[in-house]
Amino acid sequence: MYKEPAKPHTLTNFTTALDQLRSSVLRMSSLAQLNLQNSIKGLLERDDDWCNNCIADDEEIDLLEMQIDHEGIEVMSRFQPVASDLREVISSIKIGANIERVADQAVNIARRARKLNEQPELTELHLLDNPIRLSLTMFDDAVRAFAERNTELAVELKSRDKELDLLNKELTDTLINRMQDDSPNLPSYLNLIFISRCLERIGDHACNIAEDIVFAVSAQDIRHLGKQ
Amino acid sequence: MSTEEHAATPTEASEWPLEPTNNFAPGENNFIKVDNFKFFYGKKEALHGINLEIPSRKVTAFIGPSGCGKSTLLRNFNRMNELIPGVRHEGDITIHGTSIYDPSVEIIALRRRIGMVFQKSNPFPMSIYENIVYPLRIAGQNTRSVLDETVERCLRSAALWDEAKDRLNDSALGLSGGQMQRLCIARAVASRPEILLMDEPCSALDPIATAKVEELIIELKKDFTIVIVTHNMQQASRVSELTAFFYLGILIEFDNTRKIFTNPSMKQTEEYITGRFG
Repeated sequence: MYKEPAKPHTLTNFTTALDQLRSSVLRMSSLAQLNLQNSIKGLLERDDDWCNNCIADDEEIDLLEMQIDHEGIEVMSRFQPVASDLREVISSIKIGANIERVADQAVNIARRARKLNEQPELTELHLLDNPIRLSLTMFDDAVRAFAERNTELAVELKSRDKELDLLNKELTDTLINRMQDDSPNLPSYLNLIFISRCLERIGDHACNIAEDIVFAVSAQDIRHLGKQ
Repeated sequence: MSTEEHAATPTEASEWPLEPTNNFAPGENNFIKVDNFKFFYGKKEALHGINLEIPSRKVTAFIGPSGCGKSTLLRNFNRMNELIPGVRHEGDITIHGTSIYDPSVEIIALRRRIGMVFQKSNPFPMSIYENIVYPLRIAGQNTRSVLDETVERCLRSAALWDEAKDRLNDSALGLSGGQMQRLCIARAVASRPEILLMDEPCSALDPIATAKVEELIIELKKDFTIVIVTHNMQQASRVSELTAFFYLGILIEFDNTRKIFTNPSMKQTEEYITGRFG
């Protein structure tokens, strides 16, 4: 459900500080989305330049993660937020950490892609098409859910994560079988397996972000519900 | 919106997060019961049918903007508002099942059961010792050993013994602001009341003195039922187990403090505690 942003505070500095924190998270998300797309381009187009861009731009995302932490701590120390404001600050800090890990996965993909690009192209590369599409869409939707405070979209991401987990497992099994028949390309198959694993982890981080959005907006803790 | 919809009984802290709890449901251990209580200053209705149950030996905080009726309700618990001309009430307030308005209840006896601490400390212009024994002396108690024992017990209760034991005969007016307020708390507990009412007890104190009074409140709840009116949200969240939010003479929400300050059920509560009110 889309939720309208709350009314401004009586203390305008408080509203400004919260808006700044939110804006930093959105900026970091955009950069991480771009980096992820660059790493995928580097992989699918076999172009090291895209991979290098992704790896080089990761530093800015790391700095933004620290900036979000500092902004969150400053809001807490200056304004002592409670209720929805407190949840928003805590969730923003946690979302920042998850976005940073998504960006790290993009870097991992870019590094593996550079290794793959040194070797002859494998037809199995396109077995990654579905996991790529699914993980990228999940992360995009997690960012959209944050921007719109959309809890329905956030909750829906959890079911898509199960689909991604299954795809990763099937793909890993397939690639292990191919390795047995095509041992000279074993390192490349291993790199594809690692990339599939990175995509699966991106889905997990998108889910973590979704859980934090639900907590921030509706105060419900939807983590680990399957284990209870 | 009817007043019944605003009344609430606190839920267990361990049950968080919870569905909204806006139904009035009497509990077994509730000590002060406010039953459809209305209060009028002349023609102006200051409290609109309040339903509330305050449990024993816990700290309950009343919060809300100025003029919302929280102090008015607090001052009704010991019938202090009756000193104001032209006031009247409807409904009832009971303590342990006995109406405070029962004709058999003597106001002085009632106030002996209910100690009160005010925003501005009000020590009497006499020694520290005499301030504390004053409630006993007016009750006819002059036995030295009893008075000495009371002074030590109350000053220890108010965490003031170590600071005041060597100057018991000095004027109370020579104490610091924080010490004076703790002396007033010591005096309030001297007659062994069951309930302590605190009307913004820290609003005139510095942060260290405030912290000492807050520590004291948490310590005192072992022996007393405490109701505190405060404008300081952080103070309410630090010291109280239950919080009631009032607005325009209506009890908007009453629940566990943890719930009120993390996920309040009512929109007005959320907007007030997050500073978006008005």
